[in-house]
Amino acid sequence: MLHEHMEKIKKSSTYSELIHRYEEQYRSKKLYFNESISEQEMQGEATKLANERVLKMAQAELETTDQSNTNYQHFFAKCLQNRNFVIVSFIPGILMYLFLMIYARPLVRYIFERLVMTVFVIISVTIFVFSILHFSPADPAANILGESATAEQRAEFDHRYGLDQSYWVQLWDATKGILTLDLGYSYTGNEDVMASIANKFPVTLTIAFWSLLMAIVIAIPVGMISAAKTNSFWDYSFMFIALIGLSIPNFWQGLVFILNFSIKWHILPATYSPGDWLSIIMPVIVLGTGLTASIARMTRSSILEVVNEEYIVTAKAKGLKPSRVFINHALRNAIIPIITIIGLQFGGMLGGAAVTEKVFNISGLGSYIVDKQFVPDIPSILGGVVYIAITISIVNLAVDILYAFLNPRIRSQMKNT
Amino acid sequence: MTAQQDFALKRSQEYKHALFVLVISIALVLVFLVNAFDVTEGTWNKVWGSLTIAYLVIACWQAIILFCMKRDLLNTGDIQKRTRLMSAVNLLTILVGNVFTTTFAFRMLRRKASIEYTISYYMLLTQLLIVSVSLLNLFKPYVSDMFLLTMAVFILLIIFDVVAVVIFGKVDTDRQIKPAFKWLGIALIITGFSGNIFGCILGYSVLLKSTNRDMSTIEKWNKIWSKITKNFTAMLGLLFVIFTFAISIASYGTFVYEFAVENNYESMLLEPSLANPFGTDNFGRDVFSRIIYGARISLIVGVVSTLIPLVIGGFLGAIAGYYNKSIDNVIMRILDVLYAVPGILLAIAIIAAFGANTVNLIIALSVGSIPTYARTMRANVMMVSNLEFVEAAKALGEADWKIIFKQVVPNSFAPMIVKATLTIGGAVIATSSLSFLGLGVEPHIPEWGNILKVGSMYLETNPYLAIFPGIAIILLVLSFNFLGDGLRDALDPKLD
Repeated sequence: MLHEHMEKIKKSSTYSELIHRYEEQYRSKKLYFNESISEQEMQGEATKLANERVLKMAQAELETTDQSNTNYQHFFAKCLQNRNFVIVSFIPGILMYLFLMIYARPLVRYIFERLVMTVFVIISVTIFVFSILHFSPADPAANILGESATAEQRAEFDHRYGLDQSYWVQLWDATKGILTLDLGYSYTGNEDVMASIANKFPVTLTIAFWSLLMAIVIAIPVGMISAAKTNSFWDYSFMFIALIGLSIPNFWQGLVFILNFSIKWHILPATYSPGDWLSIIMPVIVLGTGLTASIARMTRSSILEVVNEEYIVTAKAKGLKPSRVFINHALRNAIIPIITIIGLQFGGMLGGAAVTEKVFNISGLGSYIVDKQFVPDIPSILGGVVYIAITISIVNLAVDILYAFLNPRIRSQMKNT
Repeated sequence: MTAQQDFALKRSQEYKHALFVLVISIALVLVFLVNAFDVTEGTWNKVWGSLTIAYLVIACWQAIILFCMKRDLLNTGDIQKRTRLMSAVNLLTILVGNVFTTTFAFRMLRRKASIEYTISYYMLLTQLLIVSVSLLNLFKPYVSDMFLLTMAVFILLIIFDVVAVVIFGKVDTDRQIKPAFKWLGIALIITGFSGNIFGCILGYSVLLKSTNRDMSTIEKWNKIWSKITKNFTAMLGLLFVIFTFAISIASYGTFVYEFAVENNYESMLLEPSLANPFGTDNFGRDVFSRIIYGARISLIVGVVSTLIPLVIGGFLGAIAGYYNKSIDNVIMRILDVLYAVPGILLAIAIIAAFGANTVNLIIALSVGSIPTYARTMRANVMMVSNLEFVEAAKALGEADWKIIFKQVVPNSFAPMIVKATLTIGGAVIATSSLSFLGLGVEPHIPEWGNILKVGSMYLETNPYLAIFPGIAIILLVLSFNFLGDGLRDALDPKLD
């Protein structure tokens, strides 16, 4: 291209003009220094300078002229103005479009990565729990049919529940079952596992929800008072009580409650029945005690950590009211670790629900798992454990996303990476 | 009240301690009072009643001491000798078992706080508690063959401990310690093998100070232990933990295992009495002996199921934190899977698969807590491996594993110790919870959860069967939590 342009310029009159001008220059230079003029040298010099000049001119010309007609970018930019092309391009490029859409915005990207992680965890938990149960030395057929069952009866049982198939086939079925909400029938009682779980899970969740609510309502003000009046009598008393709350085993607390409130004073019913609002009080308190205690401790310590930060000193120096500094500056920044601990402890609470449910004779998911574990009834235990794990993962996911929205520090961090 | 006076009150740890002791004593009086008076029949229980009166007197005396202390502090800024002597009367409260006032009285007797003195009187108290609990066996039909011999040894130990308390009360261990003290240190460590670990700690401290010329080691030791010994709640926690450990060892000599496990149908479901302080259960077994033997299991399971994840999780966390990116990602993502299932639920699943017994229980509890330890370790290793001394080791061409285990891990271990102490309590609760569900220790072994399970069946008729083992669990867990909080303050790890 460059060559073509140069040839073109050389053929035109500008080239001879240039040579002429350089010859003039050369001549005047020699005249000035009173040197002899060699025709040959003069011609050579002039041509060389002219060629250099032509090269520059050609380059300049090339830059100004439109040379991108063979470029991809230009081609597609033109194509993209065509509506039909855009629609058609979605067919091969859908993944790329999604990728771009996700990665263009840091927040969306963060949420997407957390989602992928959650799905990975859920599937891995399924595989892990199934493998443990599969390789257990216990034999469900022998446990259910009894010692006297013949080998054929056992084989019949194994065949009916697919236990005679290979590990990989069973694992695939179990994973598929978890994801499609169809886990087949339980070994004992031959009931639909999914239907049982769907019946029992709401009970556990209701109690867990009220416990969580109770914990937040009690613990955060208590933690705030303790932090505001550090090393005071109230601080010591509250934290002492919180430590006792952390140290009480759920089942013992439940038994003592039943002993006092049901057997001695006849105030509250000892067992839970779904319609009766009075009967939910004791399980909720028992389940929520540990959570209340840890949230109260966390609130206190995270506020105390924040109180020494520089922005608090600044706020005080500006002459803000102490109450305003405490609520608007200290508490707002301290709430972030508190939310994390609530998310994490909620999971622990769902796990611990099994014990509380047993004490109060609640037919929730926890006591369902415990009842089925003696067999071991693989689909029931697998379903119970994995669905609780899924719930916890989703709660933690929600907490993390909430975090990203609430915390400007994290948002700006995400933008920088 | 001037600012100086206010400061004197706030600064005084002894004043704070006195207040705590008073509040606890009053709370105990109230608890005993509730037990002493039977509302439905309107009668007073003699044992509880006399205890209430004794504790009420103690609380009043404590209130007087507190008042004198406050006056001293406000007037002179220091506690006067007379007040200190007044509190010496409270030494007698050990006779009714009020360790709170006793420890306070011991503390007041020495003007300047000393690590060795504090540990030595806690050692003496532990020994006294062991002997008094063991003496309850005298009310049984018969005692074990080893009983007399063991008790004689314990009495000797008490005398030795009293001597130690007197010595350390007089000697200032930071200045006037002589090389000859090392024999005392060795003797103390030997007494520690009876289960009274205070002896080991004290002996080591004396040995360190009498033989070591390296001041930085002594300085470090002093810094940590002076913080712990000043923290009375942590010391009380340590006292109960060591007492539980020591009584589990002492029970080999002083308790009769048959009372705890053999059925005796002549004495079923008896009320608490001197022969059976906590009554008997539905098979006529003595609940008190069962609880003492149960302490062994609870401690072993609690400690082992904390140590296993501490080692495995710590190792994985150290590797993940030291090597960046790919190894870190692989390890942490695998541990995330374990982290998603709540500990108890995972334990139930593992026990469902492999059966309920003690070994499986320990494994099940351990697996669930590996991720939390790994996370703690990883965070600390990441912080420490950016420090200069690690870079120096790298520059010297040290091998990676040597850097990790000789430089990085020892310097990031403090939070792990704190975490472990705080989670032993959780492990004890988890053990008894699973036993209560029938998923833990085998039912015939006396374990606190198993005892409670039996007790829960007789809640209406014999509630004490369920209450006493529960109190034992709470006290042990509470002690571990207090100790953990104290350790956190003393080691001051930079927890994330």
